[in-house]
Amino acid sequence: MSDTLSFLLMAWLNPGLLGLTALGVLAGIYIGAIPGLSVTMAVSILISFTFSWHIDHALALMVGIYVGGVYGGSRTAILLNIPGAPSAVTTAFDGYPLAQRGEAGRAIGLSTVMSVIGGLIGVLVLAGTAPYLSGLALQFAPRDYFLIAVLGLLLVSSLSGKSLSRGIFSVALGGIIGLVGMDMVTAQPRLTLGQMELLGGIHYVVVMIGLFGVAEALYQLHNLAKVPVKQKVDKIVPPLNMVLKFLPLSVRTSVIGVIVGALPGTGGDIASLFAYDHAKRSVKNPTRPFGEGAYEGLVAPETANNAAVGGAYVPMLTLGMPGDAVTAVIIGALVIHGLNPGPMLMIETPHIFWFTVGNLALANIFLLVFGLTGIKIFSKIVEVPKAVLIPLILVLCVVGTYSINSNMTEVYWMLGFGILGYWLKVFGFQMGPIILGVILGPLLDESYRQAMSSVGDRGGDFLLALVTNPLSLVLTSVITLVLLSNTPLKGWLSRRFSRS
Amino acid sequence: MSKKIERVQAGEKVFDWLLLLLSIGVLIEAYRIDGGLRLNSAGSFPVGLALVMLASSLAILVSHRYKRRDESIKSALQEFQVFLRDHFRPHIVVFSIAAIIYLAAIVWASFYISTFIFLAAMFIYFRQGRVVSSLIITAAAIAVIYVLFTVVFRVYLP
Repeated sequence: MSDTLSFLLMAWLNPGLLGLTALGVLAGIYIGAIPGLSVTMAVSILISFTFSWHIDHALALMVGIYVGGVYGGSRTAILLNIPGAPSAVTTAFDGYPLAQRGEAGRAIGLSTVMSVIGGLIGVLVLAGTAPYLSGLALQFAPRDYFLIAVLGLLLVSSLSGKSLSRGIFSVALGGIIGLVGMDMVTAQPRLTLGQMELLGGIHYVVVMIGLFGVAEALYQLHNLAKVPVKQKVDKIVPPLNMVLKFLPLSVRTSVIGVIVGALPGTGGDIASLFAYDHAKRSVKNPTRPFGEGAYEGLVAPETANNAAVGGAYVPMLTLGMPGDAVTAVIIGALVIHGLNPGPMLMIETPHIFWFTVGNLALANIFLLVFGLTGIKIFSKIVEVPKAVLIPLILVLCVVGTYSINSNMTEVYWMLGFGILGYWLKVFGFQMGPIILGVILGPLLDESYRQAMSSVGDRGGDFLLALVTNPLSLVLTSVITLVLLSNTPLKGWLSRRFSRS
Repeated sequence: MSKKIERVQAGEKVFDWLLLLLSIGVLIEAYRIDGGLRLNSAGSFPVGLALVMLASSLAILVSHRYKRRDESIKSALQEFQVFLRDHFRPHIVVFSIAAIIYLAAIVWASFYISTFIFLAAMFIYFRQGRVVSSLIITAAAIAVIYVLFTVVFRVYLP
């Protein structure tokens, strides 16, 4: 017990670790917020010059950047409608309308507090349930991962726009982009148009920067003369009654975030979608209609995506499976340091587990401090005239894209996706479903093929497995319900029931 | 009871037809992957996604039946003119061309020189000729980019 406690408080009591965690959180907020920089990229770069450090120091910095980055992505989502990370896509749905109403300060303050609440709940759940959840997650079959990814994509299709068909088209287009390159199973080129350069695939960050950075910059040119909304940064700290009002929703969506985050390969992006959908369905009288600046639409994804950080660590530390892209990179860091992420980690090096738990909690405390104090300077970014901001965004997009693989071709692809994204945006397509399609497409493909292989490639048996396995049946039922709720059948049923 | 009629934007129908063509192209390309018609192969999932794209683009086109053009637009030529006016404004065209030239220039000029020229030109153009302040902002931006990406993050620049 005393050993556990000393491991838990290691980062809190060691000035070096304390400083690195603080630095990581502060840097993470800005990395997550700057278009073109991503937490995954920053952590990847960090590995290259921290491999000679002590593992505790390297992990302290990475954990700080991870926690700060997940939160930082929401800032640009609120202020510029450019999510800094996929997990902040849903934050923009209501966060940006709030900024347009001049409530950016309050929105950022509330998102900070809720992120910390979500983050701490995530840490608590990680500490309390990791050993037990690992046993449960081991029972998941590939078809369950397939169903979870389908559900996530279906939700984003139905949530992010007025037209389901446009949402589904966007998701499928994203999936196709995500599948470009060499097939990992058969080594066959797929959708490469005979181009050797495409064999390695199109990096999702390239697509993300193009769609969210360049497309947004081009779209903003329509309103070049428009004066940016003056942000009210004087009301940063949300009043206690406001926090208490949203606390039940925050706790509910934290639980959603942790559970979804703990599913390998999912992470904060799907967690925030589930949470947003939950808020949309469960909150009867939101502060404003969803999509027009409802605080509930901000609280739900922000709590969930930070809670998902704790959740994402569960499969990583107990099964050696990444909860999301960042934990995939952190697994690499652990291996470089000679550790063995997976079930043996808890037995061989239990201090790493408890140190990570304590460090995540500490990072959330720093998040509260930096989140509530740095807003004034940060918000000045949106007061920069668009005439200055738009060319700068393009330059940041170029730098961000080039730094992934030092490849100019990817920069041209990024511009191409930016132009495509601009036209799609003009005609009512949302960028969020496309990028989630890009990320989840390969995961869906892999899970589908594993699931088919497990039933000997017999389609009938595959369909049967979807309704005979209890977990698969639950997921299939939810997917069916979501699909039906977006058809005229829903209206017909509600009319019938209201009449009777 | 009057039902609210949804308006279709100038050029939207043409764009949606282009998406249908794109879907067909993707389907053909997906089918060309070996095993495109088998349930478990490299091509099965791309074919499935292409079919979803095709079906949803058809649904989008069908939805146009319930939409109407803006009342002020009487002919296809007029719609084309509105499309050009909305999306090919001078500053959008200038920025797009400058962006393409900038990306091409990075390869043969250095990143910092091409970025300086691009930013300065765009700031001066967008800010309607405030040359001195535009150059100062450009210099400050270049300095921040240098410190942030070259010194702090040590990112490889083009």
